[in-house]
Amino acid sequence: MRREYAWRSVFVAGLLAFFAALVLAQIVRIQVSPEAAKFNEQADDYAMVKRTFYPERGQIYDRKGRLLAGNEAVYTVGVNIPEMADAEALAREVSAQLGLDYDETYQKLLNPGGLYFVALANYVEADRVDALKAKRDDMEKEAAANYHASPLSGLDFQPALQRSYPENDLASNILGFYNRDKRGIFGVEEKYNDLLAGTPVQAWVPQDPNRAAEIPHVPDGASLILTVDRDLQAAAERSLDKALLDYGAQNGSIIVMDPRNGDILAMAATPRLNLNEFWNYGNYYSRAYEYNPAIAMQYEPGSVFKIFTMAAALDIGLVAPNTPFHDSGIIYVGGAPIQNWDRRPWGDQDMIGCLRYSLNVCMAWLSTNMGKDVFYDYMQRFSIGRATGIDLAGETPGRLKVPGDADWYPVDLGTNAFGQGVAVSPIQMMMAASAIANDGRMVKPHVLYALVNEGRQVNINLDPAGAPIRPETARVLSEMLAVSLEHEASLALVPGYRVAGKTGTAEIPADGYYDSSQTNVSFIGWGPVDDPQFMIYVWLDRPSASIWANDTAAPLFSAMAQQTVILLDIPPDSIRLQIAGH
Amino acid sequence: MINIAHLTHAHRQAPWRIQRQWAGAFLLGALALAMVSALYLDVTSQAAILGREIQLLQGEIADIRYANANLQTKLAELSSANNMNARALALGYRPAEAGEIHYLVTPGYARPSAVTLAVSNPPAGAPSTPPEYTQSLLDWVVSYLQSPASGMAAGVIP
Repeated sequence: MRREYAWRSVFVAGLLAFFAALVLAQIVRIQVSPEAAKFNEQADDYAMVKRTFYPERGQIYDRKGRLLAGNEAVYTVGVNIPEMADAEALAREVSAQLGLDYDETYQKLLNPGGLYFVALANYVEADRVDALKAKRDDMEKEAAANYHASPLSGLDFQPALQRSYPENDLASNILGFYNRDKRGIFGVEEKYNDLLAGTPVQAWVPQDPNRAAEIPHVPDGASLILTVDRDLQAAAERSLDKALLDYGAQNGSIIVMDPRNGDILAMAATPRLNLNEFWNYGNYYSRAYEYNPAIAMQYEPGSVFKIFTMAAALDIGLVAPNTPFHDSGIIYVGGAPIQNWDRRPWGDQDMIGCLRYSLNVCMAWLSTNMGKDVFYDYMQRFSIGRATGIDLAGETPGRLKVPGDADWYPVDLGTNAFGQGVAVSPIQMMMAASAIANDGRMVKPHVLYALVNEGRQVNINLDPAGAPIRPETARVLSEMLAVSLEHEASLALVPGYRVAGKTGTAEIPADGYYDSSQTNVSFIGWGPVDDPQFMIYVWLDRPSASIWANDTAAPLFSAMAQQTVILLDIPPDSIRLQIAGH
Repeated sequence: MINIAHLTHAHRQAPWRIQRQWAGAFLLGALALAMVSALYLDVTSQAAILGREIQLLQGEIADIRYANANLQTKLAELSSANNMNARALALGYRPAEAGEIHYLVTPGYARPSAVTLAVSNPPAGAPSTPPEYTQSLLDWVVSYLQSPASGMAAGVIP
């Protein structure tokens, strides 16, 4: 009996062992079969997905940390075709919610052209998508309760980030814009595109949850803090808009800069584009330089340029403020006659009078007495005819003809001295004049204050751009300009603050001649004279109320300066000196 | 002789005892294998669940970043220069003019410089996961066998 049980046990154990061996053999057979390689390949195909990770574009802030350019989520609304249950319902709902054409939407769903995902609308804002999402979720719940597929099944929303400009058109000429081809155009967006964009990373992403940690970390693009003060920028734009209306000018520009370090505090221009609707660019501008004339437009500066001629003459010791000059009303340079702006003689003057009455004859006398080598050497020291290198895209270098150029004539030595026959941009004038306001040291204008990357901030410090004149020359000339404004009771004066500056009225050349009825007017000034903290340049194109800068640009400078001292917390001279005495 | 044969027989284990010992040893081995398998299955499934959670959390992080970007932009729109100006005017304020501003001398006051947006604790890089958390048992055995320390790497004769 026991023997019989033993045999049975051995038999059952053997049978089980046999089946186990069969299972093992089958496992091994499957693993080494020709199909196994194919299955492995298929598994590999699904195991990894190649994806490009685009970093979030860096944000742009003003100097007080207020957002000027950020990002917002937008969605591509579409349908996953294999999951679609009711094309008609989907087309009806999506077209109604997003304002699309029903027939077109329906046809897209019926004829997907082999696509897995059919996009019905791109760049849809979050609030519009939220309504559609809520509708889809409600219908899914209802369908689940009734054990059938939701009519909106397959509806999907793919998010992406889009550039957003919360201030709309404020500082649009500085910021530039970021288009849907992922390119920065104009301004900071173009100049710092690589920094803002970061580095896209293409990687194979494992689908295996065990390897979830292998998804690469892609750092965001760097954020930028600009030197621009948003409130001052808004004030500059308001002042400019008002001036265009008041004086009937066609266009204009205002730049406010800290002459001590080149920080651009405001840079207003017209017309301005709402950056959230950048596709309207063509409605505003016909040429690229019109986007930011403060850096991209070149023009003849006129009498503002006289400060550089005077600076050179003072610096070499040719004249002093009280050097006498008899103005006969005409001077011949290179055989060509040069006259004053009113074509009359101004008699006995000194150098302050030459600046005060803006005498062309006096300036031509200075340049010819200096000689062409010295005069042009100084103009080049002031970087006239060269780009300043401001960190905004699209700057023009201007043009300074020098002896030896094919189009330079001896008369140019005379006319260049009072700003004719030379092409500059407003930002070049600011840079050159900063040497006079800043004790002879010229600063490089810039808009970038700091970079913020991965939580770390790097502040940008720039070295001076050169020292074209001696500190004493700068102080003497600044004083001469302040006195000349005070003597003529200029409309540029700022109550409570001593300022220095110079007007410029330039006739606009057309067809080889100067049209005296069409001018561009400008004023460059800085203050307080004993400790300059702001420098302002205003420029208006073809004002119809008056062709003279004294009547148009000078009061605009004063209005802008009065707002600047308030917004920058610069107390009046009397209080400032009182504080300094403490 | 009879006595000697009897004694030898008396000291030999009964066959059923030997069978039990074999069966016991086999069951012990099977139990150990089952325990290791269960442990391995548990660890692997937990790792997979956590991995899936990481994937979901990464999705949530992306959603939160989108929401954050939207909120930041919305806040900036609400506090934009134009909006703030309009709200101030609606509340009866107007821009101050130069003559209306009073300056007080405050000893020790320093004018604030430009903003600092650096964060005190910059985000650390993603921690690297030790291989113990990602390797399967088989991977570990293979890597152990292939490591030079095991002395069984290709070409090494013990």
